[in-house]
Amino acid sequence: MNKAIIAVLIIVSISFLLPIMWSFSTAFKPTGEILSYPPTLIPQDFTFDQFIKLFTAGNGLFGKYILNTLFMAGVSILGVMIVSLFSGYALSMLPFKGSNVILLLILSIMMVPFQSLLIPIYDLLNKIGLFDTRIGLILVYMTFFMPFCIFMVFNYFRSLPKSLRESARIDGAGEMTILFKILVPLSLPALATIIVYVFLEVWNDFVLALIFSSSPDVRNIQVGITVFATQRFSKDWGLINAGVVFSLIPSMLVFLILQKYYVKGLTSGTVKG
Amino acid sequence: MRKIPRNTIKSLLFLSPALVLVSVFFLYPLIRVLIISFQEWQVMGGSDYIGFKNYLKVFQDDEFLQTLWNTFIYTIIVTPMIFIPAVLFAAIFKETNRKNTISRTIIFVPVAISFVAASYIWSWIYNDTYGLLNFILQKLGMISQPVNWLGETWSARFSVSFMIAWKTLGFTMIILLAGLQSISESLYEAAKIDGASKTKIFFKITLPLLKPTIFLALILSLAGSFKAFDQFYIMTGGGPMKTTQTMVMYINKVAFEYYDVGYGATISVVFLGILLCLSFVQLKLGGFSNE
Repeated sequence: MNKAIIAVLIIVSISFLLPIMWSFSTAFKPTGEILSYPPTLIPQDFTFDQFIKLFTAGNGLFGKYILNTLFMAGVSILGVMIVSLFSGYALSMLPFKGSNVILLLILSIMMVPFQSLLIPIYDLLNKIGLFDTRIGLILVYMTFFMPFCIFMVFNYFRSLPKSLRESARIDGAGEMTILFKILVPLSLPALATIIVYVFLEVWNDFVLALIFSSSPDVRNIQVGITVFATQRFSKDWGLINAGVVFSLIPSMLVFLILQKYYVKGLTSGTVKG
Repeated sequence: MRKIPRNTIKSLLFLSPALVLVSVFFLYPLIRVLIISFQEWQVMGGSDYIGFKNYLKVFQDDEFLQTLWNTFIYTIIVTPMIFIPAVLFAAIFKETNRKNTISRTIIFVPVAISFVAASYIWSWIYNDTYGLLNFILQKLGMISQPVNWLGETWSARFSVSFMIAWKTLGFTMIILLAGLQSISESLYEAAKIDGASKTKIFFKITLPLLKPTIFLALILSLAGSFKAFDQFYIMTGGGPMKTTQTMVMYINKVAFEYYDVGYGATISVVFLGILLCLSFVQLKLGGFSNE
């Protein structure tokens, strides 16, 4: 491949960021400038108006959406971590006849798209009084995002020497001590993958939050943006882009800080080898 | 009574949180969706078994067949848009050095953001009156009148597909990169010694050895097409004339707008069947993925 093509492709790769930068640029313009012709690439009249509008609309609804989403992401991460550590420990260190079947059962969740179960889960959440509650959504998130994490922790623990647990047992350590004092400190990369994976799934979720919540107190940020975008007859693009910027920042930050773990997690198992 | 070993009891205790979640929020709904698919639900509550009626209806329902057709067309448009650049990027940025790592990271950034954000970013670019795209194309003299990109069937399909390619090709590239890096260096060296040109090496060594990985990435991308919802819901609302409506959109519409819950469940089961077939092919290829 010659140098010219490579140069072009490097330029193309940088241009991947242009749409995102255009959204940032729009979010810092006053409405008049947003709707002016020709469009200005860099805000001429730099302003925080759109963000003020975003956070004051409906008595600070957007702030509530953000806090809701952060809360659900935080609890889901913690929940998935505990479930994955417990299950990974049981399946790798305390295997029994039939524990493989349980692993397969958990992994089978990855083959069934949650989109096909929206109706029965909606019905179930209604029946047990968890429809339109944060805890209901968190439990659904945990169920569908834990299989990958359990599998990863299971593989991680399995690669550790068996003698690790045995010698700790001889020293009189209980299972909890072995798990949290010996294995957890050795599995920090796996836990980092869980954090970035579950955070991005929950923060970026749209369809589950859309169907399983209905009140402003439970809505997440992504659904919140669509509510803001569609509540007026004509779209307020300044407001929408300001919302988009706030949805982008945490996703991009978490990704950039923990990208090593995220990419490794995404590709683990996709390639035979 | 046979005694259950102590370790088994301990193990089951550790597994219990996962088992509760699996049973309540996965197995139970899975069985329920099958049951509901044979029922007709009344708006006031109560339901009757109606046998295979819903299933007979699915394959005569024009709106459902339209969603299948939409998915098919959309897949045909979006697949080359994702794979041609993804293969090129993977081949060029294969070596791990500073410059390549930065390029890869930049290409991967859109994967990390939400479909909602991506959809609004591009809806704003495609906007017919104030959009950046119309402005640029008019300046370049490629169009004389502003185009309503998301308002016409075919331009909407291409516009949304372009957004998806931008959003997801980083993921495909990363999978292909992992495949490329597993190809032994010695093969390339041997080819170089034999005097093979770079193009020849690409077509005779890289592509054939990468085929399983490409196939796996294709299956994942295909599954993604079937599951598409957010981007069409936001960018086109399924229009114009339902020509960009996806299966998941239709399931939601039937169940939560028309309140035809039984029929919605039937479409869900058909949808599930299609994706299970894809998953089995994927398993045969030996790959798992959480996407």
